[in-house]
Amino acid sequence: MLERVLNQVRDMSRRAVVSPVTFSLLFAFALAAAIVAVTGGDPLAAGGEMFTGAVTGSGLRNTLGRSVPIIGMALAVSIAFRSGIINLGGEGQMVIGGLAGTIVAIYVPGPGYVIVPLAMLAGAVVGAVWGLLPAYGQTWLRLPILITSLLLNYVARAITGYLVRFQLLDDAVTLTSTRQVPETARMPKMPIFGGVSLSLILVIVLVALLWMVYTRSVAGYESQMTGFNMRSARYGGIDVEQRTVQVMVVAGAIGGLIGTHLIIGEALRFIDGELVLAGFAWTGLLVSLLAVNRPIPIFITGMFFSALQIGGLAMQRNAGVSWRLSQVLQAVVIVAVACRLAIRRGERPSTEVSDAESAAVGEV
Amino acid sequence: MTFELELRGITKRYPGVLANDAVDLAVRPAEIHAIVGENGAGKTTLMSLLYGLFPPDEGEIFMRGERVEFSSALDAIAAGLGMVHQSFKLFPTLSVAENVVFRQEPRRRGLIDRAAGIARVSELADRYGLAVDPEAAVEDLPVGVLQRVEILKALYRDAQVLILDEPTAVLTPQERDQLFEVIRRLRDAGRTIIFITHKLGEVMAISDRVTVLRNGRAVADLVTAETDPAEITLHMTGRAVDLDRRAPEHQPGQAVLEVENLTVLGGHGRAVVKDASFQVRSGEIVGIAGVAGNGQSELIEALCGLAEAHNGAVTLSGTDITTADVAGRRAAGLAYIPEDRYGVGTTRQASVSENLLMGHHREETVQRRGWFDRGAVARLTGRLVEVFDIKAGSVSGPVSTLSGGNLQKVVVAREMEHGTPLLIAEQPTRGLDIGAIEFVHSQLIRYRDQGGAVLMVSAELSEILSLSTRILVMFEGSIVATLDPRAVDEPEIGLYMTGAHLEAAVA
Repeated sequence: MLERVLNQVRDMSRRAVVSPVTFSLLFAFALAAAIVAVTGGDPLAAGGEMFTGAVTGSGLRNTLGRSVPIIGMALAVSIAFRSGIINLGGEGQMVIGGLAGTIVAIYVPGPGYVIVPLAMLAGAVVGAVWGLLPAYGQTWLRLPILITSLLLNYVARAITGYLVRFQLLDDAVTLTSTRQVPETARMPKMPIFGGVSLSLILVIVLVALLWMVYTRSVAGYESQMTGFNMRSARYGGIDVEQRTVQVMVVAGAIGGLIGTHLIIGEALRFIDGELVLAGFAWTGLLVSLLAVNRPIPIFITGMFFSALQIGGLAMQRNAGVSWRLSQVLQAVVIVAVACRLAIRRGERPSTEVSDAESAAVGEV
Repeated sequence: MTFELELRGITKRYPGVLANDAVDLAVRPAEIHAIVGENGAGKTTLMSLLYGLFPPDEGEIFMRGERVEFSSALDAIAAGLGMVHQSFKLFPTLSVAENVVFRQEPRRRGLIDRAAGIARVSELADRYGLAVDPEAAVEDLPVGVLQRVEILKALYRDAQVLILDEPTAVLTPQERDQLFEVIRRLRDAGRTIIFITHKLGEVMAISDRVTVLRNGRAVADLVTAETDPAEITLHMTGRAVDLDRRAPEHQPGQAVLEVENLTVLGGHGRAVVKDASFQVRSGEIVGIAGVAGNGQSELIEALCGLAEAHNGAVTLSGTDITTADVAGRRAAGLAYIPEDRYGVGTTRQASVSENLLMGHHREETVQRRGWFDRGAVARLTGRLVEVFDIKAGSVSGPVSTLSGGNLQKVVVAREMEHGTPLLIAEQPTRGLDIGAIEFVHSQLIRYRDQGGAVLMVSAELSEILSLSTRILVMFEGSIVATLDPRAVDEPEIGLYMTGAHLEAAVA
C-alpha cells in the first residue's frame, strides 16, 4: 500500500518534471530572451515589464478581463474536440450570437437585471443555432463539420456586416457600428481588482460545471468515449449523432455568450469586423489544445495566455520591445508542446508495443 | 559452449506489473528455439527488449559471448537480429523488391540499381524456398506471401538470428507448412530462429528447444524431443487443461432470436448476406462456421444494429428489432462480444473501469438523472474484475496495458453482466492462449446453462464443434447448411464452407 502511494508520488513528480508543458515554457522563454538580447534589448528588463504589466494594477484587471473570452472560447472548442468533433466555427458562433445579444441589449427596454440575462440568453440561443447548422449538416447530409463550421464563419461575418451596415447603423458616429449599448443593459463590473466584468464569474462557473460533467455525468462519459473511439461508442449503444448535435449546441451557446459579453461587457458597440480582430476563437482553440481539452488546465492556460498578451502590451509601452514578441512566445510554446508530445509517444511504456509505436521507433 | 544469443536476468517493470522477472534465455547457434507462454506471460515484452525497442530495467544481453546493448531497433538489426512482427510493416504500393531493399538499396553511380535489387531478392528467395515475385506490388499479395517478404527483409539485412512473433496466427494450414519448411531450411543453412507462439502443436512440430514463460518468468527450458505437450502445458498454465470438452446434452427452450429472410447489402449494392433465416433458442449455442469474408461479420453487424438490413425481419424475444438502433436492441435483450476487441470492443485511451462501464452506463443502478453514483460504478467494475479474474494493475489504469486475454475478459465480463436473453459472440477466442480460451468457453457454457441463447461465429472449427448445439455454415452470404455437431466432422463442414457441396450437387 505504502509502496503504491510512493510509486504514485514518484510517478507524478517525474511527470511534472518531464511534462511537455514545463519544458516548452522554459524553452519558449529562453528563445524569447535570446531574441530580445540579439536585437539589442535587455531581456531581464523586458521580462520584468511583461510580468509586472500583466499582474499588477490595471494590468491584473486587464489580464482577468481578457481571460474571459480566451477561456470561454477554449471551453467551447474543448467540448467539441473531446467528442471528436472538429468545430472550427467558434468565431462565427461568437459573432452572430454576439450581435443577437447586442440587439436585445439595445432595443429591448427594461431593467438591467432582466435585460442583461436576456441578452446573454439571446446570444446563447443564436450561437447554438449557428452551431446546430453544421451539426445537422453532418448527421443528415454527411457534410463534415470541420468544413461547414469553418465556412459558416464567413457567412456569420457577412450577415452581421449586412445587418450592422444597413439595418442597425448608428448615423451619429463615423464607425460602421450599432448604437451604444445603453448603460442599464451593460454587463456589471465587480468591485474587485479595479472593476472586473461579472462574466469572469460566469466563466469560472462554466469551468466548474464542465469539470463536473466530465468527471461524473453520463453525458460527459458518453462524449469522452465517443471522442476516444466512435466505433466502440456506437457499439456500446451511444447515439453518436444525437451527442454530436448536443455538443454543437452547447459549444455554439458558449460562443454566443462570449460574443454577447464582448459587446455588452467590453466594446459596448458592435463594430463591423471588430469582434474577429482579436482572434479569441483561435487563441481559445490553441489554449484548448495545449490543455488537452480539460476544463481546469484550460482555465490556467487561458489565464497564462491572457497575461502574456497583456504583459506584451506593457512591455512595448515600458521597455520598447514589440508586443508581438508575446505572440512569438505563444506560438513557440505551442510548437514546443506539439514536438514534445510527438517525441514522448515513442518512449511511453506499454506491455504490448503497438504498431504506431514500433513504427515510430524506426524502420524495422 | 558459446551461445548465439543469451539473456541473463532480464527484468522489466511497468507500474503495477512485473512484465519480465529475471528471465534467462540461452539460444544455441542454428537451432529453432520456441518461446511459449500464455498471453501476458511476457513474450512480447521480452522480444521488444531484445530488439532494442525499449531498455530492460535489469539484466544483460550477449551475442556470441559478447555483451551488447541496443538503444534502438537499428542497433539490433546491425548486430544481426531480424524480427518479423505479427503485423507487417510494408509499403503497400511498392514492389516486393523495393520493400526488401528499402534503405539499403544497391546503387550504381549514386543511383538506385533496381535490376540488382530484384536480382538479389530473387536469389535470396530461391535459396531459402521463399516463393515470391520480386516485382509484384505488395498490396496485391496474400498474407502468407507478405510474411515471406518480411522474412526476406530480415535476410537481406543478413540477420543471423531471426525472431518470428506468432508467425502462424494469420496463415492457412498450407501456408503454415510452407513457412515451417522455410524455417527448417534457414536452420540448416546455419541461421538461428526464435519462434514465439502459444500453439503447442507448432512447438512440437518445428522447434529444437523450448523455453516456457509464465507470469513474466522463464519457468522451463526443455529439449523438444524429450518433452510432450502435456508437460509444456503444465509449465505454461501451472495446471492441467482439458482441451477437448464436448458440450453436454442440453434441451433448448423457446426461440429467443428469429431471423427471417435477412438480406444485407455491402459496397456497390451487392448482397453480402442473402436471404438468411434461422432461430436461436434459449439454452443453446448456435455456431456459425465459414471461411472469413463470407458474410458472417455483416450478418452480425446487421443483428446488432451496426449495419442496415435491406430486407427481412429480425425478432428478439418477441420484439421486432429490424430497424432498431444499437441502444434499442441492447434494451430488447442483446449483448455482443465483437470480433475486433481492440477497435470496437474496447477503447484504448480509456481506463479499465470506463471500458467495463460501457453499455451499463445508463442503468438505474449506476446513475440517477444523468449523474453517476461513483460508489456504484466502483462496485460494479470492482466486482467484474474480481469475478472474471481480470489481471490489471489498477481499474483506473489505461486498458491498453492489458494483455490480449485480459482485454477479452473485460469485453466478456461486461457483456455477460447484461444478463440478456441473447449473447452474440464473434470470434470470442481468436488470438487467445489456452488458459483464456478455456475461460471464455466455460463462460459461454455457463451462459447457455443458465438459459441464455448464444450465437457464436468462429473460424476455429474445433471450437464450433465442441461448443455448438447446432452449426450453421455460411458460404457467399447464404446459410448453406444446418448441421448437428454430433453427426459431422471437420472435413464435412469444410466441404460446405468452401462451396464444394454445390459442385457435388451439380455433378
